[in-house]
Amino acid sequence: MQEFSKGKPPAGVFFDTDFSAIDAVLAMSILYGLQGKNDCRVAIVSMSRPNLAVAGFADAVERFYKGPAGNFSQVPPIGMRTEGLAGDTSPAFTVPFEKKNADGSTLYKNQVKSEIDTGDPNTLFRNYLEAQYDLNAFWVLGGPATNLASALAFPGMPELIAAKIKYLVVSVGAFPNGPADGRIKGDITAARRVFAEWPTPIVACGREVGAGLLFPGASIDKEFAEQVHDNPVADAYRACHTMPYDAPSWDMAAALYAGRPKEGYFKLSGPGTIVVQDDGRTSFSDSDKGKHQYLILDREQKDRILKTYVELASAKPVPPKRFRPADDAADPQQEQKKPPVDAVKPPDNK
Amino acid sequence: MITKKVLPRRTFLRGMGSAAIALPFLDAMTPAFAASSMPGGAPVRMAFFYVPNGMIMDAWNPSYEGKFQEMPRSLKPLEPFKDDILQIGNLTHNTGRALLDGAGDHGRCCGSYLTGVQVKKSLTEIKSSISFDQIVANEIGKQTRFPSLELGMEDARQAGDCDSGYSCAYTNNLAWRGESQPLPPMLDPRALFERMFGTGQPMTPEERARQSVYRRSILDFVTDHTHKLESSLGPTDRRKLDEYLSAIRQVEVQIERAEKDTKPIEPGMDKPYGIPADFSEHFKLMSNMVAIAFQADQTRVVTFLMTREGSSRPYRELEIPDGHHPLTHHRNLPDLMEKVRKINEYHVRQFASFVEKMKSTQEGDRSLLDNCMIVYGAGLSDGNAHLHEDLPTLIAGRGGNTIKTGRRMVVRRETPMCNLFLTMMDRMGVHMDKFGDSTGRLQGLDLG
Repeated sequence: MQEFSKGKPPAGVFFDTDFSAIDAVLAMSILYGLQGKNDCRVAIVSMSRPNLAVAGFADAVERFYKGPAGNFSQVPPIGMRTEGLAGDTSPAFTVPFEKKNADGSTLYKNQVKSEIDTGDPNTLFRNYLEAQYDLNAFWVLGGPATNLASALAFPGMPELIAAKIKYLVVSVGAFPNGPADGRIKGDITAARRVFAEWPTPIVACGREVGAGLLFPGASIDKEFAEQVHDNPVADAYRACHTMPYDAPSWDMAAALYAGRPKEGYFKLSGPGTIVVQDDGRTSFSDSDKGKHQYLILDREQKDRILKTYVELASAKPVPPKRFRPADDAADPQQEQKKPPVDAVKPPDNK
Repeated sequence: MITKKVLPRRTFLRGMGSAAIALPFLDAMTPAFAASSMPGGAPVRMAFFYVPNGMIMDAWNPSYEGKFQEMPRSLKPLEPFKDDILQIGNLTHNTGRALLDGAGDHGRCCGSYLTGVQVKKSLTEIKSSISFDQIVANEIGKQTRFPSLELGMEDARQAGDCDSGYSCAYTNNLAWRGESQPLPPMLDPRALFERMFGTGQPMTPEERARQSVYRRSILDFVTDHTHKLESSLGPTDRRKLDEYLSAIRQVEVQIERAEKDTKPIEPGMDKPYGIPADFSEHFKLMSNMVAIAFQADQTRVVTFLMTREGSSRPYRELEIPDGHHPLTHHRNLPDLMEKVRKINEYHVRQFASFVEKMKSTQEGDRSLLDNCMIVYGAGLSDGNAHLHEDLPTLIAGRGGNTIKTGRRMVVRRETPMCNLFLTMMDRMGVHMDKFGDSTGRLQGLDLG
């Protein structure tokens, strides 16, 4: 019999990325590592380019962490945009499927055979946002803002986002100023719309943060292997580039901050406004009323962050807990009005 | 010059007392040179046959898409009609999910099935929304004698706790006139018969007594008018009329038989008066009247709750004494799953008899089934896991030649069921931009 945890669950996570680098895969494993420690629950993973091979790999990672679909739980589909270019398919997303079981079947289960096995991002966002308690979810963006801009244009979605999403952490741009970011250039219109219209606070994790925190690739054959012998994330890392190498951690930094904003891993800028330039650069201007902030790499925290990366990303999968309202018979509307017990606090850890 | 007196489409056989029998489409209702095609085209009708407690999905979903090949086990009874069926995979009712309301998937899934909203978890403060069949009925219902018919076969109580704090109003109704107005299904064949073939005025006690004493058929009350009409019809129409009236008489005889049968349906439980003890007989009786109602264009909208959501009815006719709902929580035990498969298949077998009846009824140059969209489905897929995605859904009939049947079509995961409803509304001549949690229209119903 499945046990139920009572009361409000940890914050729900919406992770949207283009999976253009191994960093995005590791960010997924960090989010699931945080889920295993009950710091959050991964709700939806979505991607902003129509690449079935990549979606299939993301699906396999989801199944690796969530386990087989069972009573009252199902592995949600990967959200996938169907327009635009498919882009490159790194060996990271295909080589892991070469691993076989003794009977010759593929070791990692991937249910994505065609577009119908994925979900429309907006439908998924809507459906899974509705299942979150108010302001008990956060969003991590690790690629062009195409899906998020599309969500803002979807009827009723801005209101739903405002009600449910505590904050958005974007792994794009360079702060306070820097070179143009390919992820912004990938869809400048979308990035502008998101920075201008997103209804809740945005924290930007600039490229300089991830570039300053190189994920220790040696951990793949050490800590990862010690935890789980066959791990699709580790196999993807090995297949992505010639080992050994240390990967920049753009999305990982964003995911870590988003899941643990109070842990002091990073410094935060004051409030301000981020604007996207025509050439894809971002600029930040201070403003007391601004809803944007950016992360600042704290060199003193570097070792701690890297250690946390490895600890979370290599952790064994932990089956998700099922939550029910504290008093199942209680009026859910009243339950909704109770002050949050463990909701994520606003990003105030300067 | 050829002249032909056209019989009005809305012709009733009337007689003494409260009898009024609507007629099926006859050639005499079409102008000269237009025989065998209905003026303005045949109306499209729609019906929903709902089965509870989900299904064993390995016996429902075939392993392929496209043209039907080997039918999966639960659909085997529909094998003879597979060219008339479209099965749709991956439709989802998000509003049936818990979201923030905890347990009660049975209450929610039925309450949301045709309304597309998450119903309020309450035993006393009932809140849903107008169901889409009623939106259609409101728009086109004036064209028929009854805007809609709501039918069922089990327990229509409207109060009490039927699932974890959800009122029985949610599990026992499909159709909703408004957010707090469910339309309880009619279970009693006699009541349905009198509604369909009466004038709308209740029989006086004297009329009922006279009919009962002399065991007269409702057809006896309209004999004079029938003879008069027959004399003006051609041989084809006379045959059609005879078949139609025979079907009505057959239903009447079945009802009388059920009323005489007083054996208990369960040890210690009296059989409700007039309701056949045999599930199959009851279904046949009710569904035959649906076919007659469609044939005579008495209504174009029907909802049919085969058994209520969460039903624990045992199926002794299948030698399954266990309750349906408890069985569906089979914990993946093979023997329990097998029993559920048998129940699933049994339900489909009943439905197949209705499909057969519809297909064998001619309407103009097509079958009556061709002009209908008969949805057979459930509000849960895997009843053991209470899943609300990939809901078992099939459409029998071609919706007036607007649906390509004979195949399985799979849409993207999480596609809202309400997208199908929007698309069906279009075919019923009712156009809305959004219904429930729809995100657009379902594409591909008309593509082979």
